[in-house]
Parts: sequence; structure tokens; C-alpha cells
Amino acid sequence: MIVKFTVNNENRTLDVSPNKRLIDILRQDLNLKGTKEGCGEGECGSCTVIMDNKAVNSCLVIACQLEGKSITTIEGLGTEDNPDPLQTAFVEELAIQCGFCTTGMIMSAKALLIKNPNASEDDIKTALSGNICRCSGYEQIINAVQKAQQSGGKHL
Amino acid sequence: MNYVGKNIPLTDAWAKATGTAEYVCDMEIPNMLYASMIFSPYPHCTVESVDDSEALKIPGVFGVYHCFNTPPDTFNRFRTFYGQKVYNQERIFNKHLKFVGDRAAAVLADNAETAEKAAKLVSIKYKKLPYSLDIKTTEQGVIDDIFSEGSVYNVPQLEIGNFTETENPDIVKTATHTEMQRLAHICIETHCCIADYKSSTKELIVYTPTQSVFSLRTVLGDLLKIPYHKIRVVKTTMGGSFGCKQEWVLEPVAAYLATVAKRPVKLNYNRKDDMISTVSRAPITGDVISYIMPDGTIKGLEVNATVDAGGYIGNSYDYALAMGYKYTRNYRIPYLKYNSRAVITNTPVSGAFRGWTSPEATLMLEHNLDTAAKKLNMDSIDIRLKNAYNENDIDNRINVSLENTQIIRCLKEGRKIFEWDKRKFACQKQTGRYRTGIGVACGGHVNGYFPRKQDFATTTISSNEDGTVNILVSLHDHGCGTVTCFKAMAADCLGIKREDILIKEADTAYTPFDMGCFSSRTTYVIGNSLLNCCKKLIEQILANASKIYNTNIEYLTYKNGIVYNQGKKLTSFKEISRDSIIVCQKQLYATADYINKSNPGVHGVHFAQVEADTYTGHIKVTDYLAVHDIGKAINKGICKAQIQGAVNMGIGAALKESLIINKNGSCKGSLKDYHVINCFETPKINIHLIEEPCEHGPFGAKSIGEVCFVPVSAVIVNAVNNALNTDICTIPMTPDLIMKELCAKGGLKGGL
Repeated sequence: MIVKFTVNNENRTLDVSPNKRLIDILRQDLNLKGTKEGCGEGECGSCTVIMDNKAVNSCLVIACQLEGKSITTIEGLGTEDNPDPLQTAFVEELAIQCGFCTTGMIMSAKALLIKNPNASEDDIKTALSGNICRCSGYEQIINAVQKAQQSGGKHL
Repeated sequence: MNYVGKNIPLTDAWAKATGTAEYVCDMEIPNMLYASMIFSPYPHCTVESVDDSEALKIPGVFGVYHCFNTPPDTFNRFRTFYGQKVYNQERIFNKHLKFVGDRAAAVLADNAETAEKAAKLVSIKYKKLPYSLDIKTTEQGVIDDIFSEGSVYNVPQLEIGNFTETENPDIVKTATHTEMQRLAHICIETHCCIADYKSSTKELIVYTPTQSVFSLRTVLGDLLKIPYHKIRVVKTTMGGSFGCKQEWVLEPVAAYLATVAKRPVKLNYNRKDDMISTVSRAPITGDVISYIMPDGTIKGLEVNATVDAGGYIGNSYDYALAMGYKYTRNYRIPYLKYNSRAVITNTPVSGAFRGWTSPEATLMLEHNLDTAAKKLNMDSIDIRLKNAYNENDIDNRINVSLENTQIIRCLKEGRKIFEWDKRKFACQKQTGRYRTGIGVACGGHVNGYFPRKQDFATTTISSNEDGTVNILVSLHDHGCGTVTCFKAMAADCLGIKREDILIKEADTAYTPFDMGCFSSRTTYVIGNSLLNCCKKLIEQILANASKIYNTNIEYLTYKNGIVYNQGKKLTSFKEISRDSIIVCQKQLYATADYINKSNPGVHGVHFAQVEADTYTGHIKVTDYLAVHDIGKAINKGICKAQIQGAVNMGIGAALKESLIINKNGSCKGSLKDYHVINCFETPKINIHLIEEPCEHGPFGAKSIGEVCFVPVSAVIVNAVNNALNTDICTIPMTPDLIMKELCAKGGLKGGL
């Protein structure tokens, strides 16, 4: 099927199988490999991207759901030279170890802050409860999100 | 020091934060084939025939591989060093399949989708065999002929010291029983590797997030009959390991397929494949009998443990053996008798897990100590203080000094910070639905292999014309910041910026030999070779400066990146790097090694408070304190983060995590059935580091990555038993288990 949607503010028109997973479209068709697959069943959150301002597991979204949607991946969030405050805070607060959960974690946090820039600590914990980190005890991650909140920053 | 002891973001933190860090699953090589594995659907069977005709009709399929068209040679997934005696029981594709998830066949195709599609069309006829899913069934003889070596592997008894029960009439004998579940590592990066075979040079290249490139090279070389110098194993960015990537499960398969196809081959396991077919922590049962004097002094320990090896023996014989070594790391044990065995079952293969038997031994012992303390009417901390090692005590199993072991200080400072005595008082005479309990547990571990051999390392440093530095050392960073830690140490030794240092990870073609990242040896052992090398490089700097400036070397000193001549600045590291090449024609270059000859005590003493819901059996961890005898924290913030991660992993193991095997032998390979502690459930985990530098550690450092996991499950078990006045040592302590126990007890003391 032909599907038209935007990825990181770029218009995309792709001819893909209707049940192709968004994560595979991103990684295989668009070479956006910052999105990681950790479970393929929506349990670990490492493949989280933002779809129309909401965090979704890209392993659970398929091509036929993408028409007209706006997708943001970690690549669309920022670069080292022009980072999102969340990326800076994750680096500075030592919220990154093995890094395999990191991009999904940042995208979940970003979706929360778009909706609720003043999110409380409990809101942050709820928003990130679908993202597993096996290296840390989450403290640094929560600190990073709070630091990013304080520094304000751009919105999508 | 500019870096050591500070909080340093990992070297590749920005790459990871922006999604540009490259893991092996992200790598693509031109002309690459993709493998899709076909796993045994039965717990015990043989492959009778394979019909691949339909699969081969699919365009893009390169080949189908199985026991009838691949060599019968066998390997052991755990073999760590050259010449090691192990049981070689696994083929690349097995004919005799030992568990659901055993490798039966694989399809190679131009892309992953085609390979998967074709794999579904391969028709395999199996002959089912009787199977055993637990130790008891195996011991009844159901699968006696599964291997020529049999199904039960008895480990020789370990006995230290002398003891006669009757000599001490007052002695208190305490018997406890422990049962541990099968655990999955759940690194967020699942297993994946790429192998490439270059026909022109007959070279095999394997890209993999492994814990030991050199160990893996011996396995690949011997299995595929390729000389070691023609094999290049490259360690890639690792998305966590916790032990599961120190065993060779995917690499022999991918490497073999690459040699056959003469093309690059990628083998990538999804979460289910990873959970059912790679490595898990063995289910273990154990009985401990302690003999303790009324004043709390331990006189003897008798331990009897059985390790469920799963479908192949793998590391389980050694795992059972090594568990016996872990009882003498915290306390003076004048007598130890340890018996163990590994038993084959038709379940996923057991293997290395963070702490390599220390957490398992600790759970058994610490639960027993608490049970004994209750009998003796002693405080849980007091009984531990009575037996804990003093500085310079000797580990009597290996006859090696524990040096400046700080376990007593950990216990004492932890008692104060945690307000143990106040909390203990608050826990007495409780009534009502929710009961609070507190616990303490000591976890001890090692710093490297010593006194075992091959615990050495080598580092080479060279500087460039612009004053930047290249370091060759075989590091295997698990994602906990090993490379960052080494850059920090080198930068401080040489007085340069860490940004000016290049360290790539282990690569058998370029970096020096090293055993690998096991046994908490990286910082402690390899770090020393780095420090030795920095010292040698500084000698070289002074020698070159003396030549260039025609000064007496005896007048020259080096500090913070500057060469001084009788106290006056002569030149800098940057200038001397350039001038060495341009003027001296002798690049600043040094190689140094280090042979480890020490193994000080290293400990984590953890304290926890839990709340038990006596209506539902649900346990909540409300407070946690981890006190660590760490010597010196090189990257303090990351050490804390690592400890907190280990605490979560241990809480999960104590209360939630279990890899469940169904009655038909299939394994629940899904995170829907395997609950990992998430950010909503994690308690506030307080950390207290005792930094008393140890003599032989680089900058005084001791190990941390494994020891922080060692006492966690034990402390939770002790706290739950304290809350409910029970004697449970079966993990995970699920609500079902708790309610069953409470019902069996006929309710709670004090009433509801």
C-alpha cells in the first residue's frame, strides 16, 4: 500500500506492506536506527517514538495506521550541536549507561513534557513506567527529566 | 585529580542520547545475508528428516542449514580459556535436541523478512523422547542416556578446616532450605552478531557485543579449524550483558554460516529467541546447616547445592563448583563442607549471571544466619559483626589476604545511617493488615581471578604529533562506562584531557591478549596495566626531553602534563609528543603489563525495609540503603547508578522475576510474563560509599559491578521474613507463595 506521513517534519510517501511495523519502516526503509527494538511486544519501551504528540511503541504501530500521521524519532529531536534539553540533561545527569533504552526513554519523556511541561515526579514515573532500564535504578533518568523541565526548551 | 572520583558522563553518552551510537543490530555490510533460526518445538527429541524444498523455492533464499548438512563437531558455550577442560556437547545445529529452543536449523536469505518467511516453510520431522523439566525427574532416571556423560554431574567435595559437632555441646545447629528460580538477564539489547568471511584472505571477522573476544576466538578457531590469527573478533557497543554475553551462543552459528556462504551473515535474536534459547540463571536448590556458638561465633558450615543446568552442561559444573568458593568472602568460617552437583533437564541452558554464584551462595548463607540469630536471640547485625572479617584476615580457602576489607565499617555505618535500631523497635508488636520488616545482608565478591592464573593484562600507549593519545587495551565495556573510567585514569596519570584520548574496545587483530571482562577484574587488574603503562610513558617523556633539551634527566620531573627542569617549566606533554616524533625520531610509546597477585575483600552491606500486605501477599520495598566497601569510586555518579540498577535487579529476583517453563516444556519467552522492576516501582535507593583505598587497586579502587548485586535478594528475603515472622527462602516471593505460607502458619502473631 502507499502511505503518506511525515517523519521528523519531512513528508514521506512509501510503498510498503500494510502490516509492516513502524519500527521496521524507520530502521529499514528510512535508515533511522536510533529507534531500538527491545521486545517487539510493547513491553520494554525502547522503540518509543512520538506519533501526533503521543508516545507510541513503534513495534505495535503498523503501516496502515500511519496515513497522515506525524512521527518524531530521536533523530528529529536534536543533535549534539543543537540538542533538545532532554538530551543534554540525560548526558549531564549520568542517565545513560548501556544506552539501548535511552532513545525510547527520551521520547517517552518528550511526549510527557509536550503534554504537561510541569509534570510532577509521579507524572514522570507514570509516563516512563513502560520504559525498562536494566542498568540504572531510574533515579538519574527522573533527575534528567526534571532538569530538562527546569531548563525549558523548544517544543515540537 | 581532574577526573577520578568525579561524575563523568560516559564517553559515548551523546551518541546514545542522539541515537547515533552503533550497536551490532544497526550495522549493515554490503552483500550481507540474514539468518532466521528454527528452534526445537519439543523439550527432548531427535531430528529425523528435514524437507527444505519449499523454503528453497522462495526468491532470495540462499540456503537451509541443519544437522544433516553441517559438521558434527561440538563445542562448549562457556569455554573461557585455551585448553580448558569442558564438556563439548553442542553442535552448530543439533540432531539430538535437548530443550524447546534448541537450535534445529537456520535459513539464510537476502533479507530478514525472506529468511523468516522461508523458515516457516522448512518441514522438520522430529522423534519425541521422554523428558525431564526439573532436577527431581532427572534424578529419577528419566533422561539418563541424554549424554554419554549422563545427566547428573557430581562435583568433588570441598572441605576446609576441621570440625566435630560433639566437641561443642552448646553449639546451635540451624538448618535452612533455599530454592531459586530461573532468571533471565533481560539486557535491553538482545543477542545479535555479524560474521564475515573473506575468501581472498581466508579471514573470519566476527562483530559481537561479547565479554571476551579472545575466549570466543579459541572456541571459533577450534570448532571451525581456523588458525587464531585468521580470526578477528571485534567487540561492539554492548546494550547490557549481566553475564549472558560471556557465553558463545550465536557466534559459532553465524561464523560457521559465513564460512559456508563466503558472505557476511547477521544473526539477530528477538526477545523470545533470547529468552528461550540463549542463557539463563540456573534454578538452584540448597541446604545449609550452620553450627554457631551461643555468642554468635560461626564454627562450621555444611552446604549441599544442586544446579539445574538446563539442556547442556555449559558452565553448570563450574558454576556449582564455584559457589563453594563464595562462602568464605565475608566471614571467618573455620570449617566448610560443600557438596554440589549439576543436573541436566530439558529446559533452557543455564549460564553466567552477574556475580557468578556469589548472590546464590549469599542468599543461602544470609538467610541461614538470620534464622540462627533468631534462635540465639541475637540482633541480625550483631551476629554478622561477630563473624565479619577484620582487616588483613585471610580467606582460608585460597590463603589470600583480604587486605583492607571494610565489612565491619559497612555494617557499623549502615546501622547508623539506616537507623536500624530505631526501625527495629518500630517493627516490634505489630498488628493489622500491613506489616513492616527490616533486613540486612552482607555480600562479598572478588577482584579478578587470583590465585587462579591468567589474571594479567597489557596496555600500550602512544602519543601523536598534536599531543593526543592512542591507547590499546582489551576492554569490554558492558555499557557501564569501562572506557570512560579508563580514559579518566589515563588522563589523570598523564595530566591531559580525557577528550584527547582514543580507546577503542577489544579487537583480537589489534588489542593485546586479555581474558575478558569477568570476575570483576577490569578496573582492578587491567586498570593496573594502564597505570604501569602511564608510568613507563612518563619515563619515556623524561628521556626524550633530556635528549631534546640536552639536560640531565635527573633534573627533570613530570607533573600534570608539564615537564619541569629543576622546578622550572621546560616543555609540555603536547610539545614533547610533537618533538619526540619530529626531533627525536622516537614516538612516545610504552607497553606495560600487570600480573594480578592480590584479591582483597570487597563488600556490599545492604539494608532494606519492606511492607507486607497480609491480605494479598504483596510486598513493597519502602526503604533501601546500600553501603559499599569500594576502595575508590573512579566514576562516582556511575558507580551509584550501577548499584541502584543492581538493587532493582535483585529486588526483581527476590519478588517478581521468573522464567516460567510450561508443563509441555515450552518457555514463556515474553516480557508480559517476566516482570522487570520499572520506574514506578523502584524504591528510593540510598547509597553510602566507603572509600578506603586498597593497596593494589588503581587509585585504590576495588570492584563494584557484580558485588552490588550480591546481597540484594538476601536482604529482601530477610526483611520479608522479619515482617511476617516466617522462614521462607524460596524466590521469587510472589503473593501466591506468601499467602500459601501465611495460610499454612494459620495466621499471624498479634492478629489482624
